[in-house]
Amino acid sequence: MHGTERFTAAVHQWLLGMFSPGAAHIAEMVLTGLAYLAFFAVAGLALVYLERRIAAFFQVRLGPNRVGPFGLLQTVADALKLVAKEPIGTKKADHFLYSLAPYFLIISSLMAISVIPMGAGFSAFDIDVGVFFLIAVSSVGVLGILIAGWGSYNKYSLIGALRSGAQMISYELSVGLSLLTMILLVGSLRFSDVVQAQSDYWLIFKGHIPAFIAFVIFIISGTAESNRTPFDLVEAESELGAGFHSEYSGIQFAFFFLSEFINMFIISAVAATVFLGGWMPFHIGDLEGFNHIMDYIPGPVWFFIKTGFIIFLMMWFRWTFPRLRIDQLMKLEWKYLLPLNLLNILLMAFFVWKGWYL
Amino acid sequence: MTERIIFYILAFIMIVFSLMSVTSTKIIRSAIYLLGVLMATAGLYFLFNLNFLGAIQLTVYAGGIMVLIVIAILLTHHVGFGLPVPDKKHMILGWLAAMIGITISFFQFTTHTFKPKIGNLDDRVSKMGADMLHYGDGGFVLPFEVISILLLAGIIAAITIAKGGIPHLKKRLKSGQPTTVSSSTKKQ
Amino acid sequence: MGNEAIILFLIAGFVFVFGAVLFSKLISPKWDTPRKWDPYECGVETIGPSWIQFKAHYYLIALLFLIFDVEIVFLIPWAVAFKHIDSALPFIEILIFFVVLGLGLLYALKKDAIDWD
Repeated sequence: MHGTERFTAAVHQWLLGMFSPGAAHIAEMVLTGLAYLAFFAVAGLALVYLERRIAAFFQVRLGPNRVGPFGLLQTVADALKLVAKEPIGTKKADHFLYSLAPYFLIISSLMAISVIPMGAGFSAFDIDVGVFFLIAVSSVGVLGILIAGWGSYNKYSLIGALRSGAQMISYELSVGLSLLTMILLVGSLRFSDVVQAQSDYWLIFKGHIPAFIAFVIFIISGTAESNRTPFDLVEAESELGAGFHSEYSGIQFAFFFLSEFINMFIISAVAATVFLGGWMPFHIGDLEGFNHIMDYIPGPVWFFIKTGFIIFLMMWFRWTFPRLRIDQLMKLEWKYLLPLNLLNILLMAFFVWKGWYL
Repeated sequence: MTERIIFYILAFIMIVFSLMSVTSTKIIRSAIYLLGVLMATAGLYFLFNLNFLGAIQLTVYAGGIMVLIVIAILLTHHVGFGLPVPDKKHMILGWLAAMIGITISFFQFTTHTFKPKIGNLDDRVSKMGADMLHYGDGGFVLPFEVISILLLAGIIAAITIAKGGIPHLKKRLKSGQPTTVSSSTKKQ
Repeated sequence: MGNEAIILFLIAGFVFVFGAVLFSKLISPKWDTPRKWDPYECGVETIGPSWIQFKAHYYLIALLFLIFDVEIVFLIPWAVAFKHIDSALPFIEILIFFVVLGLGLLYALKKDAIDWD
């Protein structure tokens, strides 16, 4: 039994001791909801801080370093400032859609985060179609961006929203197909099965060549899916102001900002779970002593190390590559990534059929 | 008991949103109300533990077709301004037709005896896949292959429509005559 | 947790957004000036309505996406079942499926459906 499983079991027992079974179930749900909301907010703030520190590191500056130790409280102060700002929109806006848009983004990110296992048995919602469910709920997030752009009554917003719609739906195909490539190796969509299948080798080593191609495609299309540089023409500052959220301010802007960073976390967490073993420790073949030491590091630590590595990679991209044009973006997806992905999935199927995997 | 309550809540949401969808005069609002109906349908599937079907409903309908509809609406000309309200005669006729439809379906639903399907409904995805690839009894290999042809036809049709591959239209474009395609579409 | 988690996270997300917006409304200042509520266009007044007509290309992309999305939905059961079936048939079947779809993609690329001009 892993540490995280013991923890959830202990909480369960404690609640059962205090309430009747029905009430305990409800209390458990409320606690889970609160825990995820807290995680959501804290992860968002931490990622914004990290982004700024890493950006500063790449540009040989210091970054936020005044508020709190090492500037740790800077993003908290920013969040407080955003809450206290007056919300300003446009007069002619479609106010219903304008205020509805953040709900789509936040709820879809929250649901996507809930299926990712952060440790043994440590996910809120281990649904049997896990990977597909994640693809499904994140495809709803596109609509939030489209109606945000529509509702704001601003040309920049509308152009940004449409670009984003075209970009996100295109790259969703690559995300889905590269995940399916790995599902071929696992034979189950449930996230806990996906992690369990990697107890001997991580999937990226198990599937060697096609798995590595799929990993690269996933990272590229995941970066595009979460609208990050070099694929951030949705909010290309030099041409579109702030893109689809030009007209949002104060707390509503904060939601768009938050969901952007949380989407980056989700993409990284999925990459870590599906390709790099999730919370499974790093093992090398028969090196008993080494493997034993690695087992001492708890699962969630492994999970966050791997996720953090991919987040760092995505932040690195941001300061390395220049922004693409929209026609180049579409060409990259439809002419290169999608055909490559289809061929790659066939290659993986051939390898699985022949049994040429570890 | 709770399932029953959730079912009625979802049904209520679906009815209200479909009514709003057909009565709204703002075309994009009615698309968003339609989205509400589709999501509530997905909710129904999840309620009955048909998770795969629910996820399909979310990806294909909420994430695919709704994006298509919203983008199609943005192609129309006077998008922002409400549609004209139909005149009295059409309104009355429409309501009458709707009432007759509701009465007939209500009658059908109350008089018909539904037989509950006994036995376990095997909705595991792996079982589905095995059936899909199986060519013997109860296998669906032919439909599975035909689907690919259907999708191919879909791709060709989509390109033909959107690229203006219709011959008489092309001829008019070449001879410089005005076409039905609006020339105000700019490169964005 | 079973499927009730969907309801839980629906409510949690709703409460999160609604609560924060409400709280912000309570503590934020109100300072209305007429110019404040204009669309943001770097200080220039907007010409014409902001809800403009768009290039038909986006529609084509959305159509193609929908077709490939349906394809992925059909691939999912295949991908899950593939490992558990021990014969050459699933591979040959999917090869036919992919060749037909590859023809479609080739047609789309040949017709310059993706090109932006």
